[in-house]
Amino acid sequence: MRLREMRPRFMLDHMFTGRHVAEYLDGELDVRGRDRLEHHAHLCPSCRRLVATLMQMLEGLHGLRPTSRETGSPISEAVIARLRDEPG
Amino acid sequence: MAGERNAAPPAPQRVRYDGVHAADHPPSGGSPNGPGSLADAELVGLAAAGRRDAFEELVRRHADRLYAVILRFTGEPGEAEEVVQEAFLRAWRGIDRFERRSQFFTWLCRIGLNEAKRRAGRSPAAEPLSVEEGALEQTADFTHAPEPRAEQHDLREVLERAVRALPAGYRAPLILRDVEGLSTEQAAGVMGLKEAAFKSRLHRARLTVRDAVDAYLTGDDA
Repeated sequence: MRLREMRPRFMLDHMFTGRHVAEYLDGELDVRGRDRLEHHAHLCPSCRRLVATLMQMLEGLHGLRPTSRETGSPISEAVIARLRDEPG
Repeated sequence: MAGERNAAPPAPQRVRYDGVHAADHPPSGGSPNGPGSLADAELVGLAAAGRRDAFEELVRRHADRLYAVILRFTGEPGEAEEVVQEAFLRAWRGIDRFERRSQFFTWLCRIGLNEAKRRAGRSPAAEPLSVEEGALEQTADFTHAPEPRAEQHDLREVLERAVRALPAGYRAPLILRDVEGLSTEQAAGVMGLKEAAFKSRLHRARLTVRDAVDAYLTGDDA
Protein backbone atom coordinates (compact mmCIF):
# COMPACT_ATOMS: atom_id res chain seq x y z
CA MET A 1 0.00 0.00 0.00
CA ARG A 2 1.39 3.42 -0.97
CA LEU A 3 1.30 6.23 1.52
CA ARG A 4 -0.75 8.64 -0.65
CA GLU A 5 -3.48 6.03 -1.06
CA MET A 6 -3.95 5.65 2.66
CA ARG A 7 -6.66 7.44 4.55
CA PRO A 8 -5.49 10.45 6.53
CA ARG A 9 -5.91 8.85 9.96
CA PHE A 10 -4.15 5.73 8.81
CA MET A 11 -1.32 7.85 7.40
CA LEU A 12 -0.96 9.79 10.64
CA ASP A 13 -0.82 6.57 12.63
CA HIS A 14 1.65 5.17 10.12
CA MET A 15 3.95 8.14 10.64
CA PHE A 16 3.42 7.98 14.41
CA THR A 17 4.53 4.34 14.39
CA GLY A 18 7.69 5.10 12.41
CA ARG A 19 8.58 7.94 14.78
CA HIS A 20 7.81 6.17 18.04
CA VAL A 21 8.65 2.54 17.45
CA ALA A 22 11.95 2.94 19.35
CA GLU A 23 10.14 4.23 22.44
CA TYR A 24 7.63 1.41 22.06
CA LEU A 25 10.40 -1.19 22.01
CA ASP A 26 12.08 0.35 25.05
CA GLY A 27 8.83 0.49 27.01
CA GLU A 28 8.95 4.27 27.11
CA LEU A 29 5.70 4.97 25.25
CA ASP A 30 2.69 5.88 27.37
CA VAL A 31 -0.41 3.68 27.35
CA ARG A 32 -2.24 5.82 24.81
CA GLY A 33 0.71 5.83 22.43
CA ARG A 34 1.22 2.12 22.86
CA ASP A 35 -2.42 1.40 22.08
CA ARG A 36 -2.26 3.65 19.03
CA LEU A 37 0.86 1.96 17.72
CA GLU A 38 -0.41 -1.55 18.36
CA HIS A 39 -3.78 -0.81 16.79
CA HIS A 40 -2.07 0.57 13.70
CA ALA A 41 0.38 -2.34 13.50
CA HIS A 42 -2.60 -4.67 13.61
CA LEU A 43 -4.02 -2.98 10.50
CA CYS A 44 -0.79 -2.19 8.65
CA PRO A 45 1.29 -5.11 7.34
CA SER A 46 4.31 -2.89 6.81
CA CYS A 47 4.38 -1.64 10.41
CA ARG A 48 3.49 -5.05 11.78
CA ARG A 49 6.53 -6.40 10.02
CA LEU A 50 8.72 -3.53 11.20
CA VAL A 51 7.77 -4.08 14.83
CA ALA A 52 8.03 -7.87 14.57
CA THR A 53 11.49 -7.87 13.01
CA LEU A 54 12.78 -5.24 15.41
CA MET A 55 11.54 -7.29 18.36
CA GLN A 56 13.11 -10.42 16.90
CA MET A 57 16.34 -8.52 16.36
CA LEU A 58 16.41 -7.22 19.94
CA GLU A 59 15.82 -10.70 21.28
CA GLY A 60 18.69 -11.94 19.11
CA LEU A 61 20.99 -9.12 20.20
CA HIS A 62 20.33 -9.87 23.83
CA GLY A 63 21.28 -13.47 23.08
CA LEU A 64 24.68 -12.33 21.80
CA ARG A 65 25.72 -11.58 25.34
CA PRO A 66 28.52 -14.07 25.94
CA THR A 67 28.12 -16.93 28.31
CA SER A 68 30.69 -17.45 31.02
CA ARG A 69 32.23 -20.18 28.91
CA GLU A 70 32.97 -17.72 26.10
CA THR A 71 34.67 -15.35 28.48
CA GLY A 72 36.16 -18.06 30.63
CA SER A 73 39.71 -17.02 29.80
CA PRO A 74 41.60 -15.65 32.79
CA ILE A 75 41.43 -12.10 31.51
CA SER A 76 41.23 -10.69 35.03
CA GLU A 77 44.39 -12.54 36.05
CA ALA A 78 46.25 -11.17 33.02
CA VAL A 79 45.12 -7.65 33.94
CA ILE A 80 46.14 -8.12 37.57
CA ALA A 81 49.56 -9.38 36.50
CA ARG A 82 50.02 -6.21 34.42
CA LEU A 83 48.83 -4.08 37.34
CA ARG A 84 51.38 -5.64 39.65
CA ASP A 85 54.11 -4.58 37.21
CA GLU A 86 52.99 -0.99 37.60
CA PRO A 87 54.92 1.17 40.04
CA GLY A 88 53.08 1.45 43.34
CA MET B 1 47.38 8.61 40.49
CA ALA B 2 46.32 8.95 44.05
CA GLY B 3 48.66 10.93 46.22
CA GLU B 4 48.76 8.34 48.96
CA ARG B 5 49.48 5.50 46.58
CA ASN B 6 53.18 5.43 47.42
CA ALA B 7 52.23 4.43 50.93
CA ALA B 8 50.16 1.47 49.78
CA PRO B 9 51.23 -2.03 50.77
CA PRO B 10 53.16 -3.77 47.99
CA ALA B 11 51.15 -6.18 45.87
CA PRO B 12 50.19 -8.95 46.18
CA GLN B 13 49.81 -8.50 49.91
CA ARG B 14 46.17 -8.51 50.85
CA VAL B 15 44.64 -6.26 53.43
CA ARG B 16 41.60 -7.01 55.51
CA TYR B 17 38.97 -4.35 55.46
CA ASP B 18 38.89 -4.11 59.20
CA GLY B 19 42.37 -2.65 58.77
CA VAL B 20 44.30 -5.84 59.66
CA HIS B 21 46.93 -7.13 57.23
CA ALA B 22 46.23 -10.78 56.63
CA ALA B 23 48.31 -12.75 54.20
CA ASP B 24 46.16 -15.79 54.82
CA HIS B 25 42.91 -13.95 54.38
CA PRO B 26 40.79 -15.67 51.73
CA PRO B 27 40.56 -13.94 48.35
CA SER B 28 37.51 -12.05 47.14
CA GLY B 29 34.14 -13.40 48.06
CA GLY B 30 35.47 -15.73 50.70
CA SER B 31 34.75 -13.61 53.76
CA PRO B 32 32.43 -10.87 54.89
CA ASN B 33 35.57 -8.81 55.55
CA GLY B 34 37.10 -9.38 52.09
CA PRO B 35 36.87 -7.07 49.11
CA GLY B 36 34.19 -9.29 47.66
CA SER B 37 31.82 -8.06 50.34
CA LEU B 38 32.28 -4.38 49.43
CA ALA B 39 30.29 -2.37 46.93
CA ASP B 40 32.05 -0.97 43.89
CA ALA B 41 31.88 2.56 45.27
CA GLU B 42 33.69 1.49 48.44
CA LEU B 43 36.35 -0.34 46.44
CA VAL B 44 36.83 2.71 44.25
CA GLY B 45 37.36 4.82 47.36
CA LEU B 46 39.96 2.41 48.70
CA ALA B 47 41.66 2.14 45.32
CA ALA B 48 41.82 5.93 45.07
CA ALA B 49 43.62 5.87 48.41
CA GLY B 50 46.19 3.55 46.88
CA ARG B 51 44.79 0.16 47.83
CA ARG B 52 45.76 -1.99 44.90
CA ASP B 53 43.98 -5.04 46.31
CA ALA B 54 40.71 -3.12 46.20
CA PHE B 55 41.31 -2.28 42.56
CA GLU B 56 42.15 -5.91 41.86
CA GLU B 57 38.72 -6.85 43.16
CA LEU B 58 37.20 -4.36 40.70
CA VAL B 59 39.21 -6.07 37.96
CA ARG B 60 37.86 -9.47 38.98
CA ARG B 61 34.31 -8.15 38.96
CA HIS B 62 34.37 -6.30 35.67
CA ALA B 63 37.10 -7.70 33.40
CA ASP B 64 34.95 -10.36 31.75
CA ARG B 65 32.10 -7.98 31.06
CA LEU B 66 34.38 -5.29 29.69
CA TYR B 67 36.10 -7.90 27.53
CA ALA B 68 32.71 -8.93 26.15
CA VAL B 69 31.86 -5.34 25.21
CA ILE B 70 35.23 -4.67 23.63
CA LEU B 71 35.33 -8.00 21.80
CA ARG B 72 31.92 -7.26 20.33
CA PHE B 73 33.21 -3.86 19.30
CA THR B 74 36.55 -4.92 17.78
CA GLY B 75 35.75 -8.46 16.66
CA GLU B 76 39.38 -9.41 17.43
CA PRO B 77 40.03 -11.41 20.63
CA GLY B 78 43.71 -10.48 20.87
CA GLU B 79 43.00 -6.82 20.28
CA ALA B 80 40.13 -6.89 22.77
CA GLU B 81 42.38 -8.36 25.46
CA GLU B 82 45.01 -5.68 24.90
CA VAL B 83 42.36 -2.97 25.04
CA VAL B 84 40.94 -4.38 28.28
CA GLN B 85 44.38 -4.50 29.89
CA GLU B 86 45.13 -0.96 28.80
CA ALA B 87 41.73 0.26 29.98
CA PHE B 88 42.27 -1.12 33.48
CA LEU B 89 45.79 0.30 33.64
CA ARG B 90 44.46 3.72 32.67
CA ALA B 91 41.66 3.39 35.18
CA TRP B 92 44.13 2.51 37.93
CA ARG B 93 46.39 5.43 37.05
CA GLY B 94 43.43 7.80 36.97
CA ILE B 95 41.20 6.37 39.70
CA ASP B 96 41.56 9.46 41.86
CA ARG B 97 40.15 11.54 38.99
CA PHE B 98 37.02 9.37 38.76
CA GLU B 99 34.33 11.69 40.07
CA ARG B 100 31.90 8.85 40.90
CA ARG B 101 28.91 10.52 39.32
CA SER B 102 28.53 7.36 37.26
CA GLN B 103 29.05 3.70 38.06
CA PHE B 104 32.58 2.34 37.90
CA PHE B 105 31.71 0.01 35.01
CA THR B 106 30.25 2.89 33.00
CA TRP B 107 33.46 4.86 33.46
CA LEU B 108 35.56 1.82 32.62
CA CYS B 109 33.54 1.17 29.46
CA ARG B 110 34.15 4.70 28.30
CA ILE B 111 37.91 4.29 28.78
CA GLY B 112 37.84 0.93 26.98
CA LEU B 113 35.79 2.11 24.01
CA ASN B 114 37.94 5.22 23.63
CA GLU B 115 41.03 3.04 23.62
CA ALA B 116 39.47 0.66 21.07
CA LYS B 117 38.53 3.60 18.83
CA ARG B 118 41.99 5.09 19.18
CA ARG B 119 43.57 1.83 18.10
CA ALA B 120 41.07 1.34 15.27
CA GLY B 121 41.98 4.79 13.99
CA ARG B 122 45.58 3.66 13.58
CA SER B 123 44.79 0.71 11.33
CA PRO B 124 42.93 0.51 8.02
CA ALA B 125 39.43 -0.85 8.50
CA ALA B 126 36.87 -2.48 6.28
CA GLU B 127 34.30 -0.10 4.83
CA PRO B 128 31.42 -0.05 7.32
CA LEU B 129 27.76 -0.22 6.46
CA SER B 130 26.26 3.18 5.88
CA VAL B 131 23.51 4.28 8.23
CA GLU B 132 20.70 6.03 6.43
CA GLU B 133 20.11 9.49 7.80
CA GLY B 134 16.41 9.15 6.99
CA ALA B 135 16.15 5.82 8.73
CA LEU B 136 14.14 7.23 11.63
CA GLU B 137 11.14 7.56 9.39
CA GLN B 138 11.68 4.33 7.55
CA THR B 139 8.99 1.72 7.33
CA ALA B 140 9.58 -1.01 4.81
CA ASP B 141 6.76 -1.83 2.46
CA PHE B 142 6.33 -5.54 2.91
CA THR B 143 3.01 -7.21 2.84
CA HIS B 144 3.69 -10.33 4.84
CA ALA B 145 4.88 -10.90 8.35
CA PRO B 146 8.34 -12.47 8.54
CA GLU B 147 8.47 -16.22 8.21
CA PRO B 148 11.26 -17.51 10.39
CA ARG B 149 13.28 -19.79 8.16
CA ALA B 150 16.32 -19.92 10.30
CA GLU B 151 17.98 -21.75 13.05
CA GLN B 152 18.73 -19.40 15.92
CA HIS B 153 22.40 -20.05 15.31
CA ASP B 154 22.17 -18.61 11.79
CA LEU B 155 20.35 -15.53 13.01
CA ARG B 156 23.12 -15.04 15.53
CA GLU B 157 25.69 -15.03 12.75
CA VAL B 158 23.65 -12.54 10.75
CA LEU B 159 23.41 -10.28 13.79
CA GLU B 160 27.12 -10.61 14.56
CA ARG B 161 28.02 -9.61 10.99
CA ALA B 162 25.56 -6.74 10.88
CA VAL B 163 26.70 -5.32 14.22
CA ARG B 164 30.35 -5.56 13.24
CA ALA B 165 29.63 -3.77 9.96
CA LEU B 166 28.10 -0.74 11.66
CA PRO B 167 30.23 2.41 11.86
CA ALA B 168 31.88 2.69 15.29
CA GLY B 169 29.69 5.58 16.41
CA TYR B 170 26.58 3.45 15.87
CA ARG B 171 28.03 0.08 16.86
CA ALA B 172 28.88 1.15 20.40
CA PRO B 173 25.36 2.33 21.36
CA LEU B 174 23.84 -0.90 20.07
CA ILE B 175 26.33 -3.07 21.96
CA LEU B 176 25.98 -1.15 25.20
CA ARG B 177 22.19 -0.90 25.17
CA ASP B 178 20.90 -3.95 23.32
CA VAL B 179 23.60 -6.55 23.90
CA GLU B 180 24.98 -5.59 27.31
CA GLY B 181 21.70 -4.26 28.64
CA LEU B 182 22.95 -0.96 30.05
CA SER B 183 20.23 1.61 30.66
CA THR B 184 19.88 4.46 28.20
CA GLU B 185 21.28 6.81 30.83
CA GLN B 186 24.32 4.61 31.49
CA ALA B 187 25.02 3.92 27.83
CA ALA B 188 24.64 7.59 26.88
CA GLY B 189 27.07 8.36 29.71
CA VAL B 190 29.62 5.93 28.31
CA MET B 191 29.31 7.55 24.90
CA GLY B 192 29.43 11.07 26.33
CA LEU B 193 26.15 11.89 24.58
CA LYS B 194 22.92 13.51 25.63
CA GLU B 195 20.16 10.93 25.91
CA ALA B 196 18.28 12.30 22.90
CA ALA B 197 21.34 12.10 20.68
CA PHE B 198 22.12 8.64 22.00
CA LYS B 199 18.58 7.41 21.29
CA SER B 200 18.75 8.78 17.76
CA ARG B 201 21.97 6.92 17.05
CA LEU B 202 20.68 3.77 18.68
CA HIS B 203 17.52 3.81 16.62
CA ARG B 204 19.41 4.29 13.37
CA ALA B 205 21.74 1.46 14.30
CA ARG B 206 18.77 -0.77 15.12
CA LEU B 207 17.08 -0.05 11.82
CA THR B 208 20.28 -0.80 9.93
CA VAL B 209 20.77 -4.12 11.70
CA ARG B 210 17.07 -4.82 11.33
CA ASP B 211 17.48 -4.51 7.56
CA ALA B 212 20.06 -7.27 7.67
CA VAL B 213 17.75 -9.44 9.78
CA ASP B 214 14.86 -8.74 7.46
CA ALA B 215 16.89 -9.62 4.38
CA TYR B 216 17.90 -12.82 6.09
CA LEU B 217 14.36 -13.74 7.09
CA THR B 218 13.09 -13.18 3.58
CA GLY B 219 16.02 -14.95 1.97
CA ASP B 220 17.42 -11.81 0.29
CA ASP B 221 20.75 -12.00 2.02
CA ALA B 222 22.46 -14.43 -0.33
